Amino acid sequence: MFNPLGADELIAGMGRTMRAAARAEGPLDDFARGQLLSGASIAGLLAAELASREALLRRTRRRLGEEIAAAGADPTLDAAAGRIAAADDGDQLGAALGDLLAELRDGRDPELRGRLLAVLREMTELELAALAGERVPPEAGR
Amino acid sequence: MSAAARADAALELMRAAGAAGSAARVESLVQMEGGWSRHTYALDLLDPERGSAPRRYIVRVRPQDSVLDTDLGQEFRIFAALAEEPIPVPAVHGYEPSEDTPFGGPFFVMDRLPGDAVNVWRGRDRELLERNWAGSRSIAEDFVADLAAIHAVDLGRLDGVLARDYRATVEHWRGIYEDVRLVRDPVVEEAYAWLLDHEPEPIAPTLVHGDYRIGNCLVDDGRLSAVLDWELASIGDRRFDFGYMSLDYSAGRFVAPGSPLLGAVAEEEWFDRRYEALSGMAIDRSVANLYAVLGALMLFSIMGTGIHLYARGETPDIRTAWSRFVFPGLRRDIATLIGW
Repeated sequence: MFNPLGADELIAGMGRTMRAAARAEGPLDDFARGQLLSGASIAGLLAAELASREALLRRTRRRLGEEIAAAGADPTLDAAAGRIAAADDGDQLGAALGDLLAELRDGRDPELRGRLLAVLREMTELELAALAGERVPPEAGR
Repeated sequence: MSAAARADAALELMRAAGAAGSAARVESLVQMEGGWSRHTYALDLLDPERGSAPRRYIVRVRPQDSVLDTDLGQEFRIFAALAEEPIPVPAVHGYEPSEDTPFGGPFFVMDRLPGDAVNVWRGRDRELLERNWAGSRSIAEDFVADLAAIHAVDLGRLDGVLARDYRATVEHWRGIYEDVRLVRDPVVEEAYAWLLDHEPEPIAPTLVHGDYRIGNCLVDDGRLSAVLDWELASIGDRRFDFGYMSLDYSAGRFVAPGSPLLGAVAEEEWFDRRYEALSGMAIDRSVANLYAVLGALMLFSIMGTGIHLYARGETPDIRTAWSRFVFPGLRRDIATLIGW
């Protein structure tokens, strides 16, 4: 979810690795073979990530929104909820949630903070399962 | 730089260190697959003054695009200092500190010891370890004994080795996260805040390996023949080593579960009892868990550095890009350890 390097950068990198291997003279050494295997691994993992990315983003946004709404009306929380709801990707969601959790470190609402961290934990479990090829269930972990 | 220039540089260093004769010549020099922060080359020398069989060495290089800005000279000095300790480490033969070398950075030469590196992310390697655990437990015995020996090294023999306390270590890795991150990660940021709120009572400092896991050892015929990869070593809190090895990641979990054994080597309770018997210190797992979180965050910073270099076009090594797929598992480790 909060992973650096987008699909475009990873695909371009795989292409560079394949081209380098194709242009190499003589048999590949262990290092060059390892580069190709890493590229192949990226292809499989990226495919799994892309298959689940939108569902995981939607689900995480919704769960965070529910927990914030349950905490009651508050201008700071309302603004944070708006940023989270509008987040188009993990980068934007990470920034919005990171700012909110940092604000909550002052102890004003430890219950909400705990619930938001529980949503983060759910997200980590689902993201890992998705990379292993499992579908992200829209209601799982509730 | 050409392969011939690299071979000449390695041979020259060996001669200057008195480890190769004037008639020695390089039979082969091949870059090996492993090494993210260091590049490694297998060097075979024919040295008539030292016998007719090829002599096997490793050339260890800190490349300019290293994912770790750590001192190769310190690593060389630690290897040299440990030569007289009951810890299996290769002998070292000369250090070239110049950045401008045919290897693309400073390098040293060390013996190539017998044995194979275990890859805990490979099922058949985990099975090998589990069979040993179910049988003689020789690997587990060596693994815990070597760690106890590392923690017992006389600090007076380690001049110039980096020393950091808990807070400085946490701030060090957090600073790197801040410097290299391409995406903000609330799991990482919350974990750093949690660590700073839970500083443990300090204990007497020891040598800390800093990357102690079975994958950084060589296994030869069921025994540990070498403890390698000392680039993260420091003088500090030994409980870091306990925590780091207890990460699920260290036991081979990537996107699928790894070994149920601690570090893919031994049952945790057994390991803790053996360590206490050897060292006299009981392992407090609540403190070790705290260091496990710090270990996961260290990995975020190291891999994040590689990703940062890759994104800027400063390394073509696609393994650095691949490492972003390690992050989801590390986040899960952190969330589980803290108990969110």
